[in-house]
Amino acid sequence: MTTLAQEFTKGIFKENPIFRLLLGMCPTLAVTISAINGLGMGIAALFVLLGSNIVISLLRNLIPARVRIPAYILIIATFVTIVDMVLNAYTPDLHAALGIFIPLIVVNCIILGRAEAFARKHDVGRSIIDALGMGIGFALSLTILGIIRELFGAGTVFGAHILGTAFQPMAILGTPPGAFITLGVLLGLFNYLFKRLGIE
Amino acid sequence: MRDNVRMVLTLLIIGAICGGLLSMVNGVTAPVIEARAKAQFLEALQGFFPAVADSKVTDIGGEEFYTCYDGSGNLMGVVASVTAKGYGGPISYDLAVDKGGAIIGIRIKSHTETPGIGDVIEKDKFQGKVIGLNFADPISAGVDVDTISGATVTTSGVISSIRRVMNIVGEQFLGMEVEKTEVDLTTVADGTYTGTGRGFKSDITVEVTVSGGKITNIVVLEQDDTPNFFNMAEGQMIERIINAQNLEVDMVSGATGSSTGIIKAVFDALK
Repeated sequence: MTTLAQEFTKGIFKENPIFRLLLGMCPTLAVTISAINGLGMGIAALFVLLGSNIVISLLRNLIPARVRIPAYILIIATFVTIVDMVLNAYTPDLHAALGIFIPLIVVNCIILGRAEAFARKHDVGRSIIDALGMGIGFALSLTILGIIRELFGAGTVFGAHILGTAFQPMAILGTPPGAFITLGVLLGLFNYLFKRLGIE
Repeated sequence: MRDNVRMVLTLLIIGAICGGLLSMVNGVTAPVIEARAKAQFLEALQGFFPAVADSKVTDIGGEEFYTCYDGSGNLMGVVASVTAKGYGGPISYDLAVDKGGAIIGIRIKSHTETPGIGDVIEKDKFQGKVIGLNFADPISAGVDVDTISGATVTTSGVISSIRRVMNIVGEQFLGMEVEKTEVDLTTVADGTYTGTGRGFKSDITVEVTVSGGKITNIVVLEQDDTPNFFNMAEGQMIERIINAQNLEVDMVSGATGSSTGIIKAVFDALK
């Protein structure tokens, strides 16, 4: 049996959804134009993941196996809609920036994946730890992507000017191809690092 | 069978709980979202009416009219979000009219007019001529608002659209009467009619002959306008009205007073 600490850190390093499993690429590539968008998306997904993991773990013995997928989607969609409404009410700018990608968290494979692969087989405690680890791993990865794309694409990080006025922004990093390029470079870097550190 | 019932019931219960939860959250967030949307909207109206505190939207023929009220609920004016026909396509703009019927602002929102020519409608050179005009003014290209030379189609398109919008605003929201200038010839029986209209400095009386639903002849019976100008207006205006078979015709430049008088007289005869 894995320890709780291992359960938590696996989502951040060993089974990082973005850099190790390459799951949930659609929001990853689309919203990480800026650090705040990446972080906002990450936190939204973290909240949904936490909620769905808790509820699905609690109901794991009550939901008949044959209807579990529609039941999971119903539960996930509820949390996503709550996030959508709350963001719209209290952080309208972020809500406008993330746009269609908030409702699309419903079909984010990380969330359904954790429900199917973890929460339905483990108790609530472990499911919470798993959701926190995976969610933080996802949020961190999106934030890193967002920071790099914003820094070199616009010369700012979280809206603060870092590189000064002499810096010529690389506009391509703000575009979809720039997302692929940044992700590719980071994947290579992390693969190298993980190999060097012996984490496989 | 028991399994099937259990599956249906499970989904039903989960669905019901989720629905209940969502309606609770919506009960909290919906008023916040609504209040913000309203605040943003009022901010846009404040560009025209700084003291606006409330507004109501009315849809007339696909165009939106926002009535603006101050803090104590008094009508301040109307902002119309409307479309004019330009040279390059539709011109979408906001027109703000105060409760006295005067234009206090115009904001072009989008257009596809020629850059450097038709986009004059966005500039003070054009907007300055429009602002201050009143519902009671003719608001007619060449009469009280000059078109901008080189951009005649664009500017006269906007001016005639403003007249149309002012009629709606005046009639629907400000309780003003629109002076009818159109004649429905299909309702006029054949025969000759006489009518009188105020020209440049005298009353002009005309006799209009209608035959088969068409204006076939117009004869001036009486007038005392400046002869040179009146003669200029008479020849061309009669020809224009008969050709167009309506009263929406251009004035004869230099003889606007007499031209208007002839139109008014023909209208008076046929109304």
